[in-house]
Amino acid sequence: MRLLTLATTLAAAAAIGLGATYFAVTHSRGMDIVRLGAWQGWPRSGTTQADPYAAAAFARTGELPLELADGLLFLADHDTAGAPLDGRCDIRILGALPQSRLWTLTLTDDKGALVPNAAERHGFTSAELVYEPDGSINVSLSPRARAGNWLPTGARGRLRVALRLYDAPFSFASGAQDEGQLPRIVTERCP
Amino acid sequence: MTFASLFRRTRPAYRSTARAPGPVERLAAIFQAVPAAPRLLLLPLAMVLVLAGIVHLVSVLAMPRLAQASAYQRLAALAPSNRLVLLPDAGEGVLPMTDPAFVSAVCRYDLRERPLKVRVPQTGDYTSISFYTNRGLAFYALNDQAAGRVIELDLLSPAQRAALPEDEEITAADRLVVESPSTTGIVLIRAFARYGDVRDAVRKQLEAASCTATQ
Repeated sequence: MRLLTLATTLAAAAAIGLGATYFAVTHSRGMDIVRLGAWQGWPRSGTTQADPYAAAAFARTGELPLELADGLLFLADHDTAGAPLDGRCDIRILGALPQSRLWTLTLTDDKGALVPNAAERHGFTSAELVYEPDGSINVSLSPRARAGNWLPTGARGRLRVALRLYDAPFSFASGAQDEGQLPRIVTERCP
Repeated sequence: MTFASLFRRTRPAYRSTARAPGPVERLAAIFQAVPAAPRLLLLPLAMVLVLAGIVHLVSVLAMPRLAQASAYQRLAALAPSNRLVLLPDAGEGVLPMTDPAFVSAVCRYDLRERPLKVRVPQTGDYTSISFYTNRGLAFYALNDQAAGRVIELDLLSPAQRAALPEDEEITAADRLVVESPSTTGIVLIRAFARYGDVRDAVRKQLEAASCTATQ
């Protein structure tokens, strides 16, 4: 009887512990999360100070994180209002970007794979985009063709947008994070 | 201060805290209030939680060691050590979450025998080089503007760095020396393709990059 209790205790502990680990490595990219509106960034994950959760997550996926001296990655899978990004909707990314030597905006599905399309258009670079007169960006994500900077979403369910700022004089040291620093993501219309 | 005086001073303080119910007493009171049957479950439950915490911490820390599909292992199937290989375009998936606007090349290094010399030509646009240990820890990165025009550097293991003569370090001021915390790892070279149609040209330029063991 006592042996049975011990075995149950150990089995339950192993299940809970490993379950928590699985959840952590599939849902997290590190503890040093920085939220700027709809965007999330992990500035320390690409440095020698990467925490164990970041190291575990990257070891599992095989990703080589973008080094902080190289660039900074921001991901968004929700719009600014908090609704998940849906590929069947018309979504707009609007606003000014922080100072950087160059940036890229990439559209992927919720697993990080590029959305296949006939035009082979998966994102914009800072050189390709047509800017607004005030220098801000206006990118449209939609399953149907749109005028201007359009990225086809292929009517996929869940989307994720990756914004990478290269050689950016960006600092998180102050802790003062202004929501206006990164573009807003607005879901305009859903079928 | 003598040992005896220390003892005398602490004793009244101990008595005064015993008067008011401390957190331990309060917890004991809560424990007493629980009926006998669930009380038998409390200890195993606490044990399960503590053990689960230990299992969780150990497994997270062991993950980089035990992972079967880490970047280093994926690239091992693709290229021999100390040789530069251009990666296929993003989306064809050797490494996840790579920027599709960049052309990348990798070199899996092994410093056990000799240091490594890395040379990256100018591509006319943003070019960077990043270093990772075999466990995927990012330890150094440099871009073309920070390096001047051509990126040229030596990668050394801690032992090789220690064996480097002092005066040589001073005379070779233009030589970049990077110390790797591990003996094996990955060099990632990435060049920006501003527009889709310059991609092939950038690819050609990056083919001139090299990663060789020094003689």
